[in-house]
Amino acid sequence: MQPTVYTIEKPDITKWLESLLESAEVIAPVAEHYGDVVFSTITSPAQVLWDFENALHPPKQFVLPQTDPIVVIKRNGQRHEVEPIYDDTRRILFNVRNCDVKGIAFLTRMQEMEPADASSLRRANSLTLISLACNTPCPLGFCVCTDSGPFLNGGYDIQLTDLGGKYLAEVGSEKGEAAVSPAARLFRAPTEAEVAERKKLETAARNRFGQETCHFASAMRRISTGRVQDSLWEKISDWCLECGGCSLICPTCYCFSVRDLARDGNWIRCRIWDSCQYTAFTLEASGHNPHEQRKDRIKRRFFHKVSAQYYMRDGMVGCVGCGRCVKVCLGAADMPAVVAAIRKGKWHE
Amino acid sequence: MLAVPTTCPFCACGCGFYLQVNKGELVGVAPSEGHPVSRGRLCARGWSAHEAPLWGARLRQPLVNRNGKVESVSWVEALDHVAGRIKELIEAGKSVGVLGSPRATNEENYLAGKLARAGLQTNNVDFSYHSICRPLIAGVEEVIGEYGRSISLNDLESSETILLIEGELARTHPRAAFSVMKAVEKGARLIAIGPTRTQMARLASLHLQTAPGSEGKVINGLLAGVLHPSLEDQISAAVWCGGYEELRRDLAGIKTTEEIRQAAEWIVRAKRAAFLMPPTSGQGDQPRKDAAAFATLAAITGHLGRPGSGLLLLLGRSNVRGACDMGVAPDRLPGYQPIRDGRSQQRLQELWGKKLPSALGLDAESLLQSVSGLIVLADDPPSVLPMGQRAVAAMERIEFIVALDAFVTPTVSAAHAVLPIASFAETEGTITNMEGRIQRFHAANDPPGEARAGWQVLAELCARFDVGVSYGSAADILREIAQAAPRYAAMGQRMSDDGWNEAYVEDSARGKLMLHATEPAALTSAEYPGVLACDRAIDWGRDPLVLFSPTLSRDYQSQQRLFPKGFVGMCRQDADKLGVSAGGQVKLTSAHGDTVVPVQINTDLKPGVLLVPYAFRDHVGKVLGTGSLVAVEAARA
Repeated sequence: MQPTVYTIEKPDITKWLESLLESAEVIAPVAEHYGDVVFSTITSPAQVLWDFENALHPPKQFVLPQTDPIVVIKRNGQRHEVEPIYDDTRRILFNVRNCDVKGIAFLTRMQEMEPADASSLRRANSLTLISLACNTPCPLGFCVCTDSGPFLNGGYDIQLTDLGGKYLAEVGSEKGEAAVSPAARLFRAPTEAEVAERKKLETAARNRFGQETCHFASAMRRISTGRVQDSLWEKISDWCLECGGCSLICPTCYCFSVRDLARDGNWIRCRIWDSCQYTAFTLEASGHNPHEQRKDRIKRRFFHKVSAQYYMRDGMVGCVGCGRCVKVCLGAADMPAVVAAIRKGKWHE
Repeated sequence: MLAVPTTCPFCACGCGFYLQVNKGELVGVAPSEGHPVSRGRLCARGWSAHEAPLWGARLRQPLVNRNGKVESVSWVEALDHVAGRIKELIEAGKSVGVLGSPRATNEENYLAGKLARAGLQTNNVDFSYHSICRPLIAGVEEVIGEYGRSISLNDLESSETILLIEGELARTHPRAAFSVMKAVEKGARLIAIGPTRTQMARLASLHLQTAPGSEGKVINGLLAGVLHPSLEDQISAAVWCGGYEELRRDLAGIKTTEEIRQAAEWIVRAKRAAFLMPPTSGQGDQPRKDAAAFATLAAITGHLGRPGSGLLLLLGRSNVRGACDMGVAPDRLPGYQPIRDGRSQQRLQELWGKKLPSALGLDAESLLQSVSGLIVLADDPPSVLPMGQRAVAAMERIEFIVALDAFVTPTVSAAHAVLPIASFAETEGTITNMEGRIQRFHAANDPPGEARAGWQVLAELCARFDVGVSYGSAADILREIAQAAPRYAAMGQRMSDDGWNEAYVEDSARGKLMLHATEPAALTSAEYPGVLACDRAIDWGRDPLVLFSPTLSRDYQSQQRLFPKGFVGMCRQDADKLGVSAGGQVKLTSAHGDTVVPVQINTDLKPGVLLVPYAFRDHVGKVLGTGSLVAVEAARA
């Protein structure tokens, strides 16, 4: 749908948030210990952060929780009954960044592929995404290289832009309209100058990217045509401590494992986050492991993220340029570093 | 969704994260960018820290075994029963003891020590991992007068030279390995000493490959190297140390290689140098001597006390340092003060209102062999001690064991009474990392069933032995610790109840450095020409926090299934000489006995070296004896 654009004055934001709190669980970035920014359920508009660097832990947990109960298995005499668990809680992710909007869209598209994942999709359908565009890109972000920020031209429910004393609110979906309508009186049509200002801010932000860049195109050519030497993966693998952080933290990673949790005489079948970087991820029952060597696991991960094969299927690289892997990497094998190594065919030389 | 800040319970690096809780259940872990140690980074264990408390076999009710029947009983009944049985044993003149644990908090360990000394009137108090790290700590103490002074993990990143005794740092202490990696990325010279070409050895500028147990030879070589006339003018610090002339004399005969001289030069000329050492294996007193020589190398090159330079002892489990500092040792009081230290004795007697026992206590291994009654706090000797499964047999002959734990362990299964306590995720308290940083656990949810905080249970037991102080919270105990252990004195004011808010253990007054080095005795002989060693003195797979985690337990479980008879690793050259291939069997013979075990090829090893994963040490127990290293002869079986 063509975005409908509104303006809301800053003092009115509190009233709008109060109206949202009445209708849904509102999750927003809040300040935690040691200056950490964490996505958390809020009870008051005052908790919401407006000037912040994105939270390190991505909001994908609200679509795909680290521990995700999917069915309950009950004993009934000699038989077992299986009941699906659905989470239809109405949630609003407020002041989420655009990289995460793209990330959640990526996950939803994956869950929609046949066979569609009803449990995840129902959770995603109950989620409204209200993003805050980045007038200042974060120091380690490179969303400009993945077309996932700092501003978006669609894909959000609402995108807010800070225009100084007011916010421009671009409404991009029916869920977005539904979030605005209970407080419609707080919104007005924007002036031409306000719309022009947003364009100016976007251009300025695009020109202000920091230290990280990530040139996927040439890396994609090399990786898709098998022109990355095995010795390169081997060298990279010595700079990885196999923490799995890169995939657990990645807004587009969705791999999981399944375990049953015993509770009150029943079993709750849970999906739990897993990482393709762990040795046991591809371990087969026979004891055979097709990716026993770390270099093979790293190669596999970047093939999935960057190859043309997956680009054609997913419509984008498996990266939203959020820079989180740079921050969590317990080593030196983050996305920009590895993409640069693939392009140059060199690692730490 | 709630996010509760807490400290990682696995290794001694002391990372921080948030435990995420939804509707009273742990659901995940979120990293903390602002945490001073981890700064947003976690290892695989940290990322799955919520799993064991959520998925594990948890203890929910107090249990007692009466006439072979296990009964679930009330807390009062269980505590009275336990106290009654222990008192009976004491009155019958039988010996009793207490095991604390690096998996328990400072507060719990402190109360375990207090219960033993003031309540049971015995110095029989220790923890299993102490038998592994004791020589390391003792060796460093010999030189520096204390073991605690350490560089920080963040300082490590700015080192110019790093000397690492390698025991697979990447696996034992990933956060420390990350700092080493960052330093290497910035151009630091990493010198790795160890038997295998591990990840850290591959990143090193120099890998000084040595047989297990022969690390001391390389350290002595390095000492001789730094005393070389071309460098000696640079080591002015040495003249301030005691034992300098003796050291020169002792090392005079050692010939150095080009590699050793290069490494010595890097160490001496570095403005900032880090010295990292885990517990090592060796015969007899050798590990202690190696640690002393290592500390001597740091002292003589002026890297002790220089900002950004110094030693880092790679202790295996999260709160090893805290268990030591709380005096969970047969010969040490809180503050790791020697038991004979008059001032410490007097201070504790006044604080506890009890006379302290004077007879020396037994260490963990001896406790298992000789006591009739044993109180075990979150320790599991079979999974920790080199003697492995033989600890189970030792426990079987103990008349009465009471286990306080959050999880079902082999020790819990062997116990006659079980007191369920909260796991790290459900308790308040502090732990002390290997840097000496004291950090908090915060309870993210309630313990399951009737389980209670460990400190509450220990306080109840203390009360039954007439050491009655009522504590309202873990913080009350911390305040008492500040009085009992002088190095924790200023801590109370510096630690608020909020967040991680850390404090450091105070350095004690610095004495004169005393240099030590002795040439290691030859390990092998014509009869036993090879060396068999355990490859890391920690078996994470059997630790409940790993064993009960669906994500983390996979590697261990698949290894157990793939190698039901265990294996020893040897180089291809040795295997060819014996005419065995991977999966084939060799007969190993040592002075202790012989055994037949399958072989795997490990191309990283030197000829004559056989490595057995610590988790498989039981398969070669007859050959290893009670240690973790032995001279052997290998033959085709």
